[in-house]
Amino acid sequence: MATDGSAARDTNCMAGPKRGRRVTSMSLRLPGTLLSYAVFVLSAGLAAQVVSGDGKTLVLLDNPNIRDTHSVFFRALADRGFDLTFKTADDPGLSLIKYGQFLYDHLIIFSPSVEDFGGNINVETITAFIDGGGNVLVAASSDIGDPLRELGSECGIEFDEEKTAVIDHHNYDVSDPGEHTLIVADPENLLKAPTIVGKPTEKPILFKGVGMVADPDNPLVLDILTGSSTSYSYFPDHPITQYPHAVGKNTLLIAGLQARNNARVVFSGSLHFFSDAFFNSAVQKATPGSERYPKPGNQELAEALSRWVFKEAGVLRVGAVTHHPVGENTPPAAYTVTDLVEYSIVIEMLSEGRWVPFDGDDIQLEFVRIDPFVRTYLKKNGGKYSVQFKLPDVYGVFQFKVDYNRLGYTHLYSSTQVSVRPLQHTQYERFIPSAYPYYASVFSMMAGLFIFGFVFLHMKEKEKAD
Amino acid sequence: QNLSFQLNYPHESSASFSPNMAEHHTVSECKHKANPNAGGSLSGNGLSGGLTQPAGWQSLLSFTILFLAWLAGFSSRLFAVIRFESIIHEFDPWFNYRSTHHLSTNGFYEFLNWFDERAWYPLGRIVGGTVYPGLMVTAGLIHYLLNLLHVTVHIRDVCVFLAPVFSGLTAISTFLLTRELWNQSAGLLAACFIAIVPGYISRSVAGSFDNEGIAIFALQFTYYLWVKSVKTGSVFWTIGCCLSYFYMVSAWGGYVFIINLIPLHVFVLLLMQRYSRRLYIAYSTFYIVGLVLSMQIPFVGFQPIRTSEHMAAAGVFALLQAYAFLQYLKDRLTKQEFQTLFFLGVSLAAGVVFLTVIYLTYTELGCLYLYSVYAKIHIPIIASVSEHQPTTWVSFFFDLHILVCTFPAGLWFCIKNVNDERVFVALYAISAVYFAGVMVRLMLTLTPVVCMLSAIAFSSVFEHYLGDDTKRENPPAEDSSDEDDKRNSGNLYDKAGKVRKHVSEQDKPEEGLGPNIKSIVTMLMLMLLMMFAVHCTWVTSNAYSSPSVVLASYNHDGSRNILDDFREAYYWLRQNTDEHARVMSWWDYGYQIAGMANRTTLVDNNTWNNSHIALVGKAMSSNESAAYEIMKSLDVDYVLIIFGGVIGYSGDDINKFLWMVRIAEGEHPKDIRESDYFTPQGEFRVDKAGSPTLLNCLMYKMSYYRFGEMQLDFRTPPGFDRTRNAEIGNKDIRLKHLEEAFTSEHWLVRIYRVKKQENRQPLEHKLRSVLAKQKYTSKKKGKKLNKKSV
Repeated sequence: MATDGSAARDTNCMAGPKRGRRVTSMSLRLPGTLLSYAVFVLSAGLAAQVVSGDGKTLVLLDNPNIRDTHSVFFRALADRGFDLTFKTADDPGLSLIKYGQFLYDHLIIFSPSVEDFGGNINVETITAFIDGGGNVLVAASSDIGDPLRELGSECGIEFDEEKTAVIDHHNYDVSDPGEHTLIVADPENLLKAPTIVGKPTEKPILFKGVGMVADPDNPLVLDILTGSSTSYSYFPDHPITQYPHAVGKNTLLIAGLQARNNARVVFSGSLHFFSDAFFNSAVQKATPGSERYPKPGNQELAEALSRWVFKEAGVLRVGAVTHHPVGENTPPAAYTVTDLVEYSIVIEMLSEGRWVPFDGDDIQLEFVRIDPFVRTYLKKNGGKYSVQFKLPDVYGVFQFKVDYNRLGYTHLYSSTQVSVRPLQHTQYERFIPSAYPYYASVFSMMAGLFIFGFVFLHMKEKEKAD
Repeated sequence: QNLSFQLNYPHESSASFSPNMAEHHTVSECKHKANPNAGGSLSGNGLSGGLTQPAGWQSLLSFTILFLAWLAGFSSRLFAVIRFESIIHEFDPWFNYRSTHHLSTNGFYEFLNWFDERAWYPLGRIVGGTVYPGLMVTAGLIHYLLNLLHVTVHIRDVCVFLAPVFSGLTAISTFLLTRELWNQSAGLLAACFIAIVPGYISRSVAGSFDNEGIAIFALQFTYYLWVKSVKTGSVFWTIGCCLSYFYMVSAWGGYVFIINLIPLHVFVLLLMQRYSRRLYIAYSTFYIVGLVLSMQIPFVGFQPIRTSEHMAAAGVFALLQAYAFLQYLKDRLTKQEFQTLFFLGVSLAAGVVFLTVIYLTYTELGCLYLYSVYAKIHIPIIASVSEHQPTTWVSFFFDLHILVCTFPAGLWFCIKNVNDERVFVALYAISAVYFAGVMVRLMLTLTPVVCMLSAIAFSSVFEHYLGDDTKRENPPAEDSSDEDDKRNSGNLYDKAGKVRKHVSEQDKPEEGLGPNIKSIVTMLMLMLLMMFAVHCTWVTSNAYSSPSVVLASYNHDGSRNILDDFREAYYWLRQNTDEHARVMSWWDYGYQIAGMANRTTLVDNNTWNNSHIALVGKAMSSNESAAYEIMKSLDVDYVLIIFGGVIGYSGDDINKFLWMVRIAEGEHPKDIRESDYFTPQGEFRVDKAGSPTLLNCLMYKMSYYRFGEMQLDFRTPPGFDRTRNAEIGNKDIRLKHLEEAFTSEHWLVRIYRVKKQENRQPLEHKLRSVLAKQKYTSKKKGKKLNKKSV
C-alpha cells in the first residue's frame, strides 16, 4: 500500500534502457548531500574509451587494394597506436557488435560503392554503434552506394546521387582531365576550428568526389570543408537539366557530426582525399597565375580529422564538482537565500593519452531556476575552475550549470541541483532599528500602566480616608 | 414537562445511527474520547437549567443525548473507512496528511520552517508559511499525547479519525450556542441535527482530513463564546472567545467570516440602540486580542491590518469607541453642546469613512465578497474549482433536507423575540444563506446555523403541542440578558419594555388546543424528523462516503468492483522511477503524487502560482514538439494524466481540458486560443469532427495513445470513448518525444516518460529544395517520418 507518506524508499532503478545507461555511466552522488544531488553528464563515449589514442579500429574497404593506395594514412594511424583490422566491406564474417558488446572503438568505412555490408553490419548497427559512443570515419566517392547514403541521412547529411561529383569550373587542378571534378579547395573554406582541421595553413586541398548537403537547422552537423561559391554538384557527363543538388557554399565536401553522446562521425565526399596520390601530388589551380604547391594540405587535414574523429583531440571531461558556502567545506542540506557560495569544477582535457587540466578562459557557470539567475565566468584556480558568488534572494530549486559547448570540443555539461530555502524563523533580524519607537512605546506603556495602577490604588485609599 | 418532550430525542438520534449498527467496533473508541469532554461541559448547565425537574435527571438526560449525538455523528462518518480502508480518501487532504506526517516526525519548528522542494518544482514551497497549521498541529498534538500515554497509534489513523471525533465537539458547541440563544431543549435538538446533517458530513467523513473538519467546531465554539461574552460582558469569556478565534484562524481561511460577522453584529446592535457596556467590553477586547493573536499565524501575517476584508472589523472598532465616547460626553455636557459636538463628530466620521471607502475601492478590489464574484468571471483557475461553483437549489435540500424548510421558522421566532444574541444568529443566518448561494463550498457555514434555527423551530413547536396544558409563565424566550441590559446600562436608554410585549403576544395562540390536534402535529413532526434521519444516513452513505482515491463500481448483481488504478499508478511511480524524478500532471493530482508516490511535482492543489499552472496547461494543450520545449525547460521526467474513456470516469483530464486551455490562454494568449479547440460550430468534440488543434495537442495524444486499437465491446467501434460517448477522431497517434511508461489496469492513469533529446538528428525529408526525386525516400525507414496524421 502506498498510503504511507513516510521516508522515501530510494529507488534508483529506472525503466528504459536509455535512462538506465545514463545512470550507470554518469551519475554519482556527492557525499554528505542529502537533499541536493548531482548528476554529471559526461560523454558516454569517454566512460567506455581507454584514455589514449589507441583503440581497436575496424577498417572496411571496397577492395584490399585501398590498403596500399591509402597506406600513408593507415600507417600514420597505426603509428599513433590504433589497432587496425582491415576487412572488405562484403566480408561475410563482419561483425561490429557481439553479445551486446562493441568489438571495436572506431570504424573507418572506405568502401563507398558497397551495396550491402557483409556479416551482421548494416546501417542500423552502425547507427547503434554511433549511439553507443563509437566513432566513424566515412569516405565516399562518386560511386556511392545506398548504405552510405542512408547512413548519411541518419546523421543529418544528404549525399548527392550516384555518379554525381562536385564540379567547379574555376577551382580545378591543372591535372584535371577536363570534367573539372578534381577540385582545389581553398583552405579559407575550412571550418575555423583548429581541433578539427589542424593549424591553419595556406596549402589548398585536393578533392574529387561526391558532394553533400546538411540541414542548416541541425546544430550537430559541422561543415568542415565547403566548396567554393562557384562549385556545384551534378553528373559530370550529363548536360544540366535539373537544379543541382548542391550549389555554391552549400556544397559540403567534408562534414562532421558530433552526436549528443559526443560520438564523432566524419563524412568525406572523396575517398581519394585520403589517398597517397593526393597526399603527395603537386597542386596548382588551372586559373592562370595561380601558385603551385609541391604538396597539398590533404595529409595534414586528414591527420587532424582523424585525431578529432577518433577522440585524440578536443576531448574534455568534468571531474569533481564541489560547492559549499564560503567558509565551510561541505554543502548544506539546503542553501539559504543570499548565501555566499563557492563553486568549483575540475575540467580536464585528453592530451597525448593523459588527462591534463584544461586551459580555457571562457567557461561560464549559470545558476538556473528555469532562467539563469546568475551567470558568471569561472576562474582557473590551480587544477580547477572556481567562482564565489552570492545566491539570489529567491528561493527554489536551483541548478549549478556548466554548459560548455565549443566547436571541436566535447560538449561539456554538468548540472548540480541544490535547494535554496528562505530564511528560517530564527534567522530574521531580532531588533530592527526602525522599530525602536515601537519598542519604546511598548515599554513606556508597561511602565505607565504600572505607575498608573500604583497611583490609582493609592488615590482610592486616600479618598476613602477622606 | 421538559422531560416528556426531550424523550423524543433519543429516538431521533438512534434512528440516525441504527443503520450503522454494524459499526460497533468504533463505539469503544468513541467512548473513551467522549466521556471526559461531554461530562465536563455538561456538569454545569444541567444544574442550572431545570426548575421543575431534579437537576440530576436533566443533566443525565442531556449528557446521554449529547453522548448519543456524538456517537451517531462519529459512526455515520465511518462508511468510507468500513467499506474501503482506513486511508486518506480525497485529493486535498493528502497534503495535510503529508505535512502532518512531517510535523510529527520532525517537530513543530521543522514544520514551521519546512521548505518543500518537492512541490512546485522548481519554485518550491514554504509550507510553514503557506498553510493554516491548525489541522496539522491538532492531529500532531493528539498523536503526541496518545503516544505519551503509550497508545501507539499511527499518525495516519489520527488523521483519518480526526474529523469524525471533532464532529462530536461541534455538536457540543452547537448545543452550547443554541442553549445560549434559546434554551436547553433546542440546544439538544441542534446537537442531534448537526451530528448527522449531510451538509457538514460532506466535509468531515473519516478519511477526509481537511481544514473544515475542525474549523466548524472552532467556528461554533467561537460564536458560543462571543454570545456568552456579549451576554455577560466579562473579559474572561471574551478572552476565551479570542483564543477560540485564534484556533479558528490557525485552522481555516473561513475565519474571515467570523471577523466580519462579529463586527456586523456589533454594528447592528448599535443601530438598534442596543449599545451596552457589555458589548463595549466584549468587542474592544475581542478586536484587540483577536487581531494580535490572528497575526501570529505566519500565513495570515499582516493581512488583518492590510486587506479590505478585515477593514469592517477595524471600522466597527473605531465606531464603537466613538459611540462610547459620545455616551460618555452625553453625561457630562448639556444637550445643546452635545448636539453641536455630535453633529461635528458625525460629519467628520462620515467624511473619513467616505474617503476610506473611495480609497479602498480604488486600491483593492479584493474584498472577499466582491472577490468571489469577480474571480469567477476573470480568473479561470478559481472558476475551475468545482467547489467554487454556485449552489443549485437541489443541493440545499440534498444537504439539509427538512431543516432548510424549517429554519426560516426558527429565524422568525428569533426575530420575534429578539435580544442581543438573537440579533447575532439572525445575521449569521442571513449572511450564511447568501454565501452558500454564491459558492457550493460555503454551504458548510450555512449548515450549523440552519441546524440551530431549525432546532429552535422544532423545539418551539414541540413546546406548544407536546407540553402540558398548564402554561408556563416565563417562556424560554424571556432570557436574562434583557434584564441584564436594563440593569447594567442603567438610565442610558431603555428598550427592554418593547421586547416584553412581543413575548406576551406569543402566549395567546397556545390556548385552546385540543389533544387531537396536538397529537397529530406531534406525530407529523416526528415523522419529519425520522425522514430527516433516514435521508441523512442515505446521503452520507451514497453521496459523501465514496472516496476519490478508490473508485467502486457495481455490477448488475450488486457485487462490487474496486478500481484501484490511482494507487496502482502512484505505487508504480514510487517503485520504478528515480527518487528525484519530476512528474508533470494537472494540479488536481499534485498532492496525491507527492503524498502517495513521493515524487516531485510541478503544480499541486495549492494553486498559488497561476503562471506556473498556466505553463503546465500550455504544455498540455500545445502540440508535442512545443510541449517538449516546455517540458525540457521544466526538467520534466514523467507526465501523468487521468483518462476515463475506458471505464467511463467523467472526472478525467479530457473533461478538465478546457480549463487547462483557458488558464494557459490567460497567461499565453498568443500561443493558446480557446476557440482553436472548438469545432466551427462551437462544440468541444473528440471525434473526427473535432478541431485539428485539439486532435493534435499533447493531452489528446497522451489520453488516446493506443486507444484506437482497443475495442471495448462488440457494439462499439474500436477507440470508442465511453465517457464522451464518441469514437475518437485521431486513432493513429504516434509520439515522438514521449513514450508510454505505464498504464494502469483500467487505463485510468497513464504515465509517459519524456525522452531525452535524440542522439543524432536524422533527416526527416529530402533537403534538396527543388524537384525532389522520389527515388530514395522509399529507402528511408518509416520510423524517421513522424508526420502528424489527422
